[in-house]
Amino acid sequence: MASVKLTGVKKIYDNKVVAVHDFDLEIADKEFVVFVGPSGCGKSTTLRMIAGLEEISEGTLEIDGEVVNDLQPKDRNIAMVFQNYALYPHMTVYDNIAFSLRLQHRPEDEVYEKVTNAAEILGITEYLMRKPRALSGGQRQRVAIGRAMVRNAKVFLMDEPLSNLDAKLRNQMRAEIILLRQKLNTTFIYVTHDQTEAMTLGDRIVIMQDGFIEQVGTPTEVFEMPSNLFVAEFIGAPKMNIIKTRLECKNGAYYVTPFGVRIPVTGEKAEALKEKGIGTQDILLGVRPEHITLADPDCESAIPCTLEVNEMMGSELHLHVYTADESRLIVRVPTIDLSAATRRELVYGKALQITFDSKVMHFFDPETKKNLLL
Amino acid sequence: MSEKDFAVPQKRHMGLKASKIISNTSIHILLAVISVIWLIPFVCILLQSFRVESTYQVGYVIPKQWGFDNYANLLKTDFPRWYLNTLIVALCAAVFQTFIVLCMSYALSRFRFKMRKPLMRFMLILGMFPGMLTMIILYRVLADLGMTQANAVPGLILVYIASSGMGYYVSKGFFDTIPKSLDEAARVDGATRLQVLFKIILPLSKPIVIYTILTAFMGPWGDYVFAQYVSFGTSAGKNVAVGMYGWLTNDQINKFYTSFCAGGVMVALPVTVLFMFLQKYYVEGVTGGAVKG
Repeated sequence: MASVKLTGVKKIYDNKVVAVHDFDLEIADKEFVVFVGPSGCGKSTTLRMIAGLEEISEGTLEIDGEVVNDLQPKDRNIAMVFQNYALYPHMTVYDNIAFSLRLQHRPEDEVYEKVTNAAEILGITEYLMRKPRALSGGQRQRVAIGRAMVRNAKVFLMDEPLSNLDAKLRNQMRAEIILLRQKLNTTFIYVTHDQTEAMTLGDRIVIMQDGFIEQVGTPTEVFEMPSNLFVAEFIGAPKMNIIKTRLECKNGAYYVTPFGVRIPVTGEKAEALKEKGIGTQDILLGVRPEHITLADPDCESAIPCTLEVNEMMGSELHLHVYTADESRLIVRVPTIDLSAATRRELVYGKALQITFDSKVMHFFDPETKKNLLL
Repeated sequence: MSEKDFAVPQKRHMGLKASKIISNTSIHILLAVISVIWLIPFVCILLQSFRVESTYQVGYVIPKQWGFDNYANLLKTDFPRWYLNTLIVALCAAVFQTFIVLCMSYALSRFRFKMRKPLMRFMLILGMFPGMLTMIILYRVLADLGMTQANAVPGLILVYIASSGMGYYVSKGFFDTIPKSLDEAARVDGATRLQVLFKIILPLSKPIVIYTILTAFMGPWGDYVFAQYVSFGTSAGKNVAVGMYGWLTNDQINKFYTSFCAGGVMVALPVTVLFMFLQKYYVEGVTGGAVKG
């Protein structure tokens, strides 16, 4: 159990490519932090720098108040779970889990106790004498977690541990990691490109792009108040709809005009805009697919559009629609809200009306792409 | 469907099976003939080594009188000394060369350092020059160090292991196929680089380790040219190949021909035993490293 502090951490490769720029982050003791971002954003590199597998080019890394920049991985008291499990193929599951303990020359009784204890928690006791090749993907990942568990490390690092598993197993293992976290009660740093994993696992999420931190916050914060367009589009599935439009301010009243339809901005959003002193200007308006609803034709703020694709997801429909000016939008509609007759009518070419409320709107500057309300 | 509908595919099937049997049989017959031709000299040498009625060359293969006299006679010559010399040189070369090659291969496979690629290319090109080119200068160096003639054994060991790092290619290719995340997992688990090599990489590379040991042993074990060049003029520094070659001169051959055959069998014995036990790994080692690398 320990805190981790990164100050101005930078990774510059020999070919002068900068993979991570001035990374500043304080991770509290027992906190579960998730680094998330698209491929090549520097999240794994940052994790590997914390593990000691990559050299830190600039800046300092502290674990429990001690600068560990120049320490070998084995001296940092960390445990790590790799994306491809990285189990030693020539050793049994027992020997794999016991490897680190034996390197520390712990008595064999203690090794036995710790290995069997970890195996019991992870439900792999019956496989202890098997070689990794005789295990399924999920079992292998459990062994990898077990290997990290027995070390009683200060910090638990996980590098996309679920990305090699199939969708069903991934959901199951995600739940198991949440339970494991409660049992181990230690500091976790978890890397993933899957925003669902980030949202469900993390106390805080660090969203990265091109080596920069875009936003750090709780899952609710990053979802409800994304700091910029990248975060807004990255968090949430399907991604947020972005509409190029204009914010009008007349006599203290705000409204937006997406696709020529006037939608008033009221309540908290209007207050916030007023507080920030924002007047009439071009904006990028963000609306999440689940916040758009199908409207009646006589609704004042209804935007006419045409259905292009209807994706049946089980509990909900993902409707891909296009407007008069050929802009594409996605609408998420719970199946339960629609009658069977309406569902049958939702086919290619069907004319629809959609609308959304001002309380679910996000306003971004078209130049800086930053959230206007932050 | 009528019976006729099946007739064509069935006929084709039979045709395929028959042609497969014919091609397999002819390949096996050809291989058997090649094996017999290849084995004839070895069988002749083995049979001649047990011939006790005369020591000179004769026009028949199967001995009239059988015995171990030729093997016993070997002990009365310098053969044990030559055999020991060869064994010492080959074993030392096998141990040191294997260690150097494996460390070199691991370093080139796992570490990224400046000039790594130019170094690899340089060694590859250097390896293309025939070893004979260096003989004169190597002889001068060994002569200055007093490691020729009677003291040829340490000199030969030095020469065999000196350039062994250049033989890194096959084992580096094999190491490259072992995921780096295994090294990283072991390092996070608390292992040093040396522990990673010995506890993780080498157990996973058994075929290539055995291949390296065998090739390192075989080089000096059968070497003639360089050993002759360094150990001339004295019997004490000779290896078996150089020593036994002396029995093939016109004035010696009739006295030592059968002893030469017995010596040949003795030389082939350890290598044959080694191969029989390690054959499986040897073949795996060659193909594993070459194809995957």
